Amino acid sequence: MFYKLAGLRGPLALFLKYGFLGAADAALIWLISAAINRSSFIIAGVVAAALIFLNYSFITKGAIPLKFLSVGLIFFSIFVVTPTGYTILMSTFNFKTGNEIVKTAALREIINNGIVSDAEGTAYDLFLGKTSNAKYAGILENQVSKEVLYADESGVRPATESEISRDISGFITGADGIKSLTDEEFANADAEISALRFPLGDGSFAAPQGSNVAARLIQSVFYDPVLDQIENRVLGITYIDNGNGNFVAKEDPTMRLDPGWRTYSGPDNFKSLFLDEKLRDPFIKVFIWTIAFAFLSVATTFAVGMALALALEAPIKFRRFYRGFLILPYAIPSFMSILIWRGLFNKEFGAINTILGLDIDWFESPWLAKFAVILVNLWLGFPYMYLIGSGALQSIPAELEEAASIDGASEKQTFYTIKLPLLMQILGPLLIASFAFNFNNFNIIYLLTGGGPTNAIDGEVAGATDILISYAYKTAFGSNVQDLGLSSAISMVMFVIVGTMSMYTLKKSKVMDTL
Amino acid sequence: MSKKLGRNDLWRHVLAISLVLFTAFPIYVVLVTSFDPTGGISSSSLLPVKFSLDNYILLFTDPTVPYWAWIKNSLVIATATAVTSVAIGAAAAFAFSRLRFKGRKVGLKALLLIQVFPSFLSLTAIYVMMEQVFLITPTFGLGSIWGLYLIYIGGSLGVNVWLLKGFLDSIPLELDESARLDGASVPQVFWLIFLPLAAPVLAVIGVLSFIGTFNEFVLASLFLQDVERRTVAVGLQQFVGGQFGETWGPFAAGSIIASVPLVILFLSMQRFIIGGLTAGATKG
Repeated sequence: MFYKLAGLRGPLALFLKYGFLGAADAALIWLISAAINRSSFIIAGVVAAALIFLNYSFITKGAIPLKFLSVGLIFFSIFVVTPTGYTILMSTFNFKTGNEIVKTAALREIINNGIVSDAEGTAYDLFLGKTSNAKYAGILENQVSKEVLYADESGVRPATESEISRDISGFITGADGIKSLTDEEFANADAEISALRFPLGDGSFAAPQGSNVAARLIQSVFYDPVLDQIENRVLGITYIDNGNGNFVAKEDPTMRLDPGWRTYSGPDNFKSLFLDEKLRDPFIKVFIWTIAFAFLSVATTFAVGMALALALEAPIKFRRFYRGFLILPYAIPSFMSILIWRGLFNKEFGAINTILGLDIDWFESPWLAKFAVILVNLWLGFPYMYLIGSGALQSIPAELEEAASIDGASEKQTFYTIKLPLLMQILGPLLIASFAFNFNNFNIIYLLTGGGPTNAIDGEVAGATDILISYAYKTAFGSNVQDLGLSSAISMVMFVIVGTMSMYTLKKSKVMDTL
Repeated sequence: MSKKLGRNDLWRHVLAISLVLFTAFPIYVVLVTSFDPTGGISSSSLLPVKFSLDNYILLFTDPTVPYWAWIKNSLVIATATAVTSVAIGAAAAFAFSRLRFKGRKVGLKALLLIQVFPSFLSLTAIYVMMEQVFLITPTFGLGSIWGLYLIYIGGSLGVNVWLLKGFLDSIPLELDESARLDGASVPQVFWLIFLPLAAPVLAVIGVLSFIGTFNEFVLASLFLQDVERRTVAVGLQQFVGGQFGETWGPFAAGSIIASVPLVILFLSMQRFIIGGLTAGATKG
């Protein structure tokens, strides 16, 4: 009968195959050239590799599995493997607020910031504009000596009264060859203008301080590339690289220059996570709550869901209605349900306080907030447990029950000695999967309590309902200090825990044997 | 011999009814809130005192609330993600289940293990990457739903392969063997035997992926800053998640409109979805 299959060979199939491949190639090649134009060579390289891999897998005669896998593998490596690798790498880096950029960029900033006004506090009135070839230039008038200079980024020269014009109060309002800036140009080029330096020829320079004043500044900080150290010649301090992403004073290692740079720090992030008391205590508390939260979530949803499955096992009245209605929480988009619950728990206008006639601030007390999280998770999760529970109940042969009741076992006995062990055997892997899911259940924590209340733990990052994943998220993207290195280290710890758990489950459930 | 409504059934009803009340509570409050023009979530009384469609009208008339655009974005990105990830997942699962090649077991294990990694903590890496892509082609970079789509596709492979493989393994090998004997090529087995057989499961995976994408919040809120480009999840969250004032009325109305299609989709696919959920369990 399979002669019919012949239809999938021949010119049409080939046309389709090469048509799609050609279109993909065209798109990728366009992307490569666009990337090269922008000199993003890494992206160009990655896309080129994808292009070669894709064509290789489809054009070679053999390698049939590759034809089925190549597209998925390309996406998977770019959007999952690469970022994961990056995160793992970052867990060994000192990479936090103040240490975000690379060393050369940090040096540039330190040098740029390493200027002081001269001892006399020399100031100039400034007329700033652009020359005909769009370079900044200006006329400086020393506020004390009244010396007038023409200045641009290459240097200064004395200017004559004949090439400038003044208004009645004596301010310089124009100069030959310099076109004044409009207010809008000033507003848009704020950063550019404040970075302008007009060298005065003696190592010092004039820098605009706003639109019509400039100050004489002296470079005080110098970098010595040979010794890799920084000297502040005004204060007479030498700063050395402390190997940890900062320049610190030779005499006093606590005197740091900002900004620092990100640098390899080995196991430091892990060490501080486990040894530094300020980090360890919140980490341990969060860790314990994570386990408790995941366990309680599974236990409560399973208990309620299983009880419901047992209750609806018998053909009672309204069973269809119960079934249909009670899986609603599973069908409603969960981010909405969570936000709605957050409103219900609100102190002033939440429905829960209204109904119970209470005036409780649920999310301010650690224990009430924890209770709320578990309750909401029960609402979200019991329908799933009901679904898998009733599925499992149906798969238990009815003969078992009958045999037990013939042997004189009561309904209770049958349930606890026969059904429950069987159920646990069937549902075990799913319960563990559910534990792992809740272990990483970011949405409910983040959207319901935001991890709070925070005052219960360290008053800074970690809160009483924070689980590891929300703690890691706040550590990396929080409002105060953002510590990506530490956050990556926390992710690694989670990865090890959940990964071990999954591998163990897989071994137990024998999925791996039948691979 | 069957006891219709005896003592034995009482506990069943008590349990079911209390759960119905528990389930209904937030749903009821949202309904009431959505029709309440004052915009609070349950004022002094839980009984609807006022009835108005103001909140619904606001969603479609207020120019600062591009609700239609949000819905459209969510539908587009969820549909595209579902279709693409099912296609890629089906092909990959077929290879893992039916073909024998070097690195198959290792590949499967690696796929699973890396999936366990708390993926959105690689957010920063993805963010930096998409920033670069944006400079090259804004269509697929930061801030566009198509950039987000690429990321969703990348993340879907592991889950889908594992979900699908379980099902595929249950299709008897003899089927493809006899086809191969009759001279069918591997791609033919895939297109003409495997796909038709797997169609219901693929539909389930598609629906689950659709719902998952529709629900996704973290990546979407980080990537889609532009009001017009938000998904409905991110857009609605702004009503109540902000530091300043919480406007529950429009949020409730918007939630109801957005969930109705999803709930219908879910309920109509319910039987298949449940089958898919329990397949892994009962096979053990």
